[in-house]
Amino acid sequence: MQEVFGVENMIEVKSLEKIFGDKQALHDVSFQVKKGETFGFLGPSGSGKTTTIKILTGQMRQSAGTANVFGVPVSKLNTPEYRKRFGVVTDNSGLYARLTIYDNLKLYTDLYDVSLQRIDEALEAVNLGSEKKTQVSKLSKGMTQRVLLARTLLHNPELLFLDEPTSALDPANSKHIHNGLKELNRQGTTIFLTTHDMEEADHLCSQVAFLNKGVVQLLDEPKQLKKQYREEIIGIELKDGRELELPLKASSAEEIQQYISREMVERIYTKEPTLGDIFVEVTGRELV
Amino acid sequence: MTFSVKRFMAIFQKDLKDLYRNMYVSSTALMPIVFAVIYSRVGEVPLAMYLFVITLSLALVGTFLQCAIIAEEKEKNTLRGLMLSPATLTEILAGKSAVTIVITVIVTAVSMLIMGFSFAGSGWLIAGIVLSLIFFIALGTWMGLITRSVMEASVYILPVMFIFGMANMFIGLVDQFSFLQVLEYTPGIQLEEIAKLGDAGAGFDELWKPFAIIGAWVAAMLVLASVTFKKRMMD
Repeated sequence: MQEVFGVENMIEVKSLEKIFGDKQALHDVSFQVKKGETFGFLGPSGSGKTTTIKILTGQMRQSAGTANVFGVPVSKLNTPEYRKRFGVVTDNSGLYARLTIYDNLKLYTDLYDVSLQRIDEALEAVNLGSEKKTQVSKLSKGMTQRVLLARTLLHNPELLFLDEPTSALDPANSKHIHNGLKELNRQGTTIFLTTHDMEEADHLCSQVAFLNKGVVQLLDEPKQLKKQYREEIIGIELKDGRELELPLKASSAEEIQQYISREMVERIYTKEPTLGDIFVEVTGRELV
Repeated sequence: MTFSVKRFMAIFQKDLKDLYRNMYVSSTALMPIVFAVIYSRVGEVPLAMYLFVITLSLALVGTFLQCAIIAEEKEKNTLRGLMLSPATLTEILAGKSAVTIVITVIVTAVSMLIMGFSFAGSGWLIAGIVLSLIFFIALGTWMGLITRSVMEASVYILPVMFIFGMANMFIGLVDQFSFLQVLEYTPGIQLEEIAKLGDAGAGFDELWKPFAIIGAWVAAMLVLASVTFKKRMMD
């Protein structure tokens, strides 16, 4: 096994291409994911997010370009040693419906050689601590999604691939999962997340890439993107119901000062775009 | 290449537990016992009838069970989870095959017990059955890989049942339908040949031919199953 300690980038992708028959799914995709980062791969359905995850986890071969995970080509990830280091939840992951949650997770504690105690810990992390004896066939889609996530957390992976992890969850459980993922990331787990939920990406990711029709159109930190695409405007909502937009310049200061001194101001705000707004501006497509 | 007994046992235990709760598949696997009960009441049972039930067990349990287990893993998207875990291809297939082997052996043994057949002094026949079981399980693995659901597997198993599971019955019609001569090369008929030669006290100089024919089936099916598995591992 190749020595991988000290590798700064968990994932390195260079000029990645994937062609299915006469359809090109990925065009010259390049990005890096640093150790300890939560990287958001954002795009609408059919943009190539799942194809990228499949290539990075060794489920699919690329047509051209290089993809390294843990510093080694993805073609070499098919060993128990590497598989113990990452976890994957995709939208088509499945569970054994006739077995209980506990039996499903027990199988994976044996496969990953971790203690049974991890089952309780992982289920607590996804808010299902009291459900372990429930048969999987009786679970809702959201609960199934949470069990799949718990299964991936059992072995404390260094790198977690999550394909739309909260797509089937209600807001309360999404929030619980988000907090869990943040905690996991704080403990050092690198997360590669695909989503079309821009709020989720904004909340979790330290870096995002916008993928549109197989092309990475933008790659940066959410904060930087919002700064870059921010409208240079200050909005003022007055108590009489009027709304004013002034340029974000020193010349506006006097006018704003007057409204404040006359106690006419309800609120003042800057017009900061959401990641969704930026995506639409850059790609011309909605995130659906 | 590593082989983890813990991972092998985990898959074996999971499949056994899951199968126990799968009434459709487990009740199908009990069919040879039903045939055994019926034939045990016929009176004097000819050798061909014992071999028919043995071959039926191998095809219906060995092939169908293996096929259904793998097809269901694909249908429910659980095979991908196993393949992304530290379990190797060998461990996954060995764990599943072990479940099929255990149940096939139990069903065959119970069927023969019901029919009053004794394996005492049938060393050659036992060796032939073991060799044939490898073929039937490899056939089930291959079929499980090419089918997408348990329902589809139930349809695909029908021609296999007729060709491999019931060859010992259909071979009796060879005088009327000459194309049935091809069944002479199936493992079931070769097992009958081994049983007859074994009973007559023949040595390996005469027994090598049926063993070689079954061996050829085993080799061909193992190659087909492993090539298909490697192709299906990747999307």
